[in-house]
Amino acid sequence: MGKRNNIIMMLLGVLIIGYFAFRYIYHDHRDIASEKPEITVLASELFSLFTENDPSKILNKTVEVTGLITETDSTSVILDNKVHCVFLNKPSGLSTNQKISVKGRCIGYDDLFEVVKLDQCVVIK
Amino acid sequence: MKSILTNLLLITLFLGPIAIAQEKFTTKTGVVFFEANVPSFEPVEAKHSNVSAILKNDGTFAALALVNGFRFEIALMEEHFNENFAESATYPKITFKGKIQNFNASEVGDEPQEFILDGTFNMHGTDKQVSIPIKLNRKDEILYLETQFILKPEDFDIKIPKVVSKKIAEEVTVTVNLKLE
Repeated sequence: MGKRNNIIMMLLGVLIIGYFAFRYIYHDHRDIASEKPEITVLASELFSLFTENDPSKILNKTVEVTGLITETDSTSVILDNKVHCVFLNKPSGLSTNQKISVKGRCIGYDDLFEVVKLDQCVVIK
Repeated sequence: MKSILTNLLLITLFLGPIAIAQEKFTTKTGVVFFEANVPSFEPVEAKHSNVSAILKNDGTFAALALVNGFRFEIALMEEHFNENFAESATYPKITFKGKIQNFNASEVGDEPQEFILDGTFNMHGTDKQVSIPIKLNRKDEILYLETQFILKPEDFDIKIPKVVSKKIAEEVTVTVNLKLE
């Protein structure tokens, strides 16, 4: 009887460890849309963070940026010519000269076009 | 008076096409896909849809991919790639600078045409010179660049720990699709 209990306990242990290992290996991607932004800034402020300061603390972080749309294409907008925001699903009805706030993940500074890049963006307002 | 007008007309006629011809072709949303799959193991592959590139009329080409922008199917793999392999916090971008041999934008037509692109990758703080075949074709004022080539992690001084080295191919196949306008 005791032997059988031991086997059951061991199996249970393996299952529990397996479950947590699986949870760790296959955990979900970050959901940027539901994350609280690390900083809330104007497009020009985010830009100067990269050009004048040490940007490592906002790299890969969720940020909220406000600015005037200066360019748009099928997947993205550019705010104040300084921040390139790529949407998960670009909402319709965004046009140039419109002021918006977006939340997204800051992936770094693009020195070819001199813009800060955000991905997985959603419109806040 | 009449001759001045005729001259002006002639000048505009001749200069017009030059002014219209594009000086450079650019994209901010180029696609780069790489895979280092080993059969019967979890696929090791990632896609970047926000790669920047500029191609000038003289064939000069530059591209930039922010390392954090590579998306993996498995979140943990993405974290390991950024933290242990590409070390994106220290080396946030991958760049390429080079030149397409014998390039002339106006000679590129509808049909994909082969060119050779010479240049240097910089990744993980290390330079690697390459010469890669690319295909270009043109529809209206848009140039499409397509290529596939192989890179090795060791070229960029990226060490794959023994524990996972069996699950990651030694040769990484990179596929690039750019819509340059």
